[in-house]
Amino acid sequence: MAKEEKRKPFGMAHVLYTLLIISVALPLLYPVGLPIGISSTTKDVYNYIENTLPAGSAVLVDLYYEMAARAELEPQAAAVVKHLFEKNCKLVFVSTVTYGPIVFELLKSTASDVFAGKEYGRDYVFLGYVAGNEPAVRSLAESIRGTVAADNYGNSITDYNKLPMMRNIDKAEDFKLVFIVSSGTDTFGWYVRQWYTAHNIPLLFGALSVIGPSIKPYVDAKQAIGMLTGQRSAAEYEVLVGRKGLGLAAMDAQSFAHALILIFIIIGNVVFFATRAKPKPKEVGKK
Amino acid sequence: MIELIGGWLAAVMIVWIYSFVYKDNVLYRLAEHLFVGTAAGYSIALSLDSLNRTAFGQMAKGMEYWHLIIPIILGLTFFFKYSKKYYWIARYGVGINVAVGAALALRAAPMANIIRQINATILPLWVEGDPLKTFNNWLMILITLGGLTYFIFTFFPKTEGKAGPVNIVYKALVTIGIYGMMVGFGYLFANTIMTRVGFLIGIILQYLQPRFDATVVAMILAIIAIAFAVMKKK
Repeated sequence: MAKEEKRKPFGMAHVLYTLLIISVALPLLYPVGLPIGISSTTKDVYNYIENTLPAGSAVLVDLYYEMAARAELEPQAAAVVKHLFEKNCKLVFVSTVTYGPIVFELLKSTASDVFAGKEYGRDYVFLGYVAGNEPAVRSLAESIRGTVAADNYGNSITDYNKLPMMRNIDKAEDFKLVFIVSSGTDTFGWYVRQWYTAHNIPLLFGALSVIGPSIKPYVDAKQAIGMLTGQRSAAEYEVLVGRKGLGLAAMDAQSFAHALILIFIIIGNVVFFATRAKPKPKEVGKK
Repeated sequence: MIELIGGWLAAVMIVWIYSFVYKDNVLYRLAEHLFVGTAAGYSIALSLDSLNRTAFGQMAKGMEYWHLIIPIILGLTFFFKYSKKYYWIARYGVGINVAVGAALALRAAPMANIIRQINATILPLWVEGDPLKTFNNWLMILITLGGLTYFIFTFFPKTEGKAGPVNIVYKALVTIGIYGMMVGFGYLFANTIMTRVGFLIGIILQYLQPRFDATVVAMILAIIAIAFAVMKKK
């Protein structure tokens, strides 16, 4: 309490916060257009969908993220879904987290260009939120019809007049790819165990930057065809599929913010070593 | 109209939540409580909807799905936790839930999480015509061995007296493990920064910029609330 009372109304922490907000906001208002190189990781994912995935394949897309993670994951999801739709893939969206129905509707509204010309039930279906975590993922692999009776909007899964694409899609073997867009780490493990190991279905990861190091071992062990991490990968994929989305819009701000943080780290280290080098003043009054 | 109200609410709530960065105030607490309440209510509604579609909806199809009554009953036993007399019944539901989850995970975990990961570290130590790949493979193997050595807590080679070859190898591997982990933590930290900055950018682009008017109004109100909080403290 006493510490808080002594706190300055505008201390160093506030200066750093303010500088960070300025470094993010200014490039958004006045974009510089810094060049973006395509990493081999993103290129591999693009090449797999473009050259290896058969046109018209069924793809499961698990949207497992909350509002806060939209900024990093929604641009990835939109760019990859655009690519999959261009290959006439049939997409079965599902969510194993309660926020799924909201983020799916937001994805549809912010990426309306991606869904334009695609018909619900014929080109894509949304199964809604399916509770149960890993057992639910396992159950979906065994049988979608046996897991959920209706889609998110109450249409029966077996009503093939409303959901004609579901006539030939039921179990893991009917899918050629699973695209997991998740803000958590566990989700990827569920699919590696229940879809890849048990059924050998190729997986594609869409993750937050911070999750990237945790799931990279799966990609290195060839348990997933590749991964996209954060806004950087989203921006690269947007370049590849020719869609100007949030990923590209964010890149200048990301670069400026990172440069600022690097400067902070350098200054912090210089101050640390400079103060450490000084001899300590003799303590007064200590026996 | 609903979109306008939604846009205003999103922008206002974000600004009020972020006002905590400067100082705790009444508008921050209002936004916090609204968020917690809304999220809890939404999750309950969604869970009931999921139960309807995955259990009751299936059972309505016919007798072949009536076995789903078993998990429903097991789920209901969770509520016995609120009874002092019958709380033990909840243990059956929890126990079976944990057992099913563990059994499902364990069925594939040895292959997915152990064997495939070990396989991925068995790499050629010499790649013809690709020195970078060779270097990477060496790094991968040494850091994996070093990391594992660092976490051996049951056996240590003797460190007293003259260092033998086992001691030297042990110390070298531990050092490599430490540096490898430090690089890993640095990579993790850098990615954490990228994610947090990404969130900030997303908030500005997705919520604040489209409703700039709401942002300005919310900021003015937040400044007033912070001023009140400061005055109250004095």
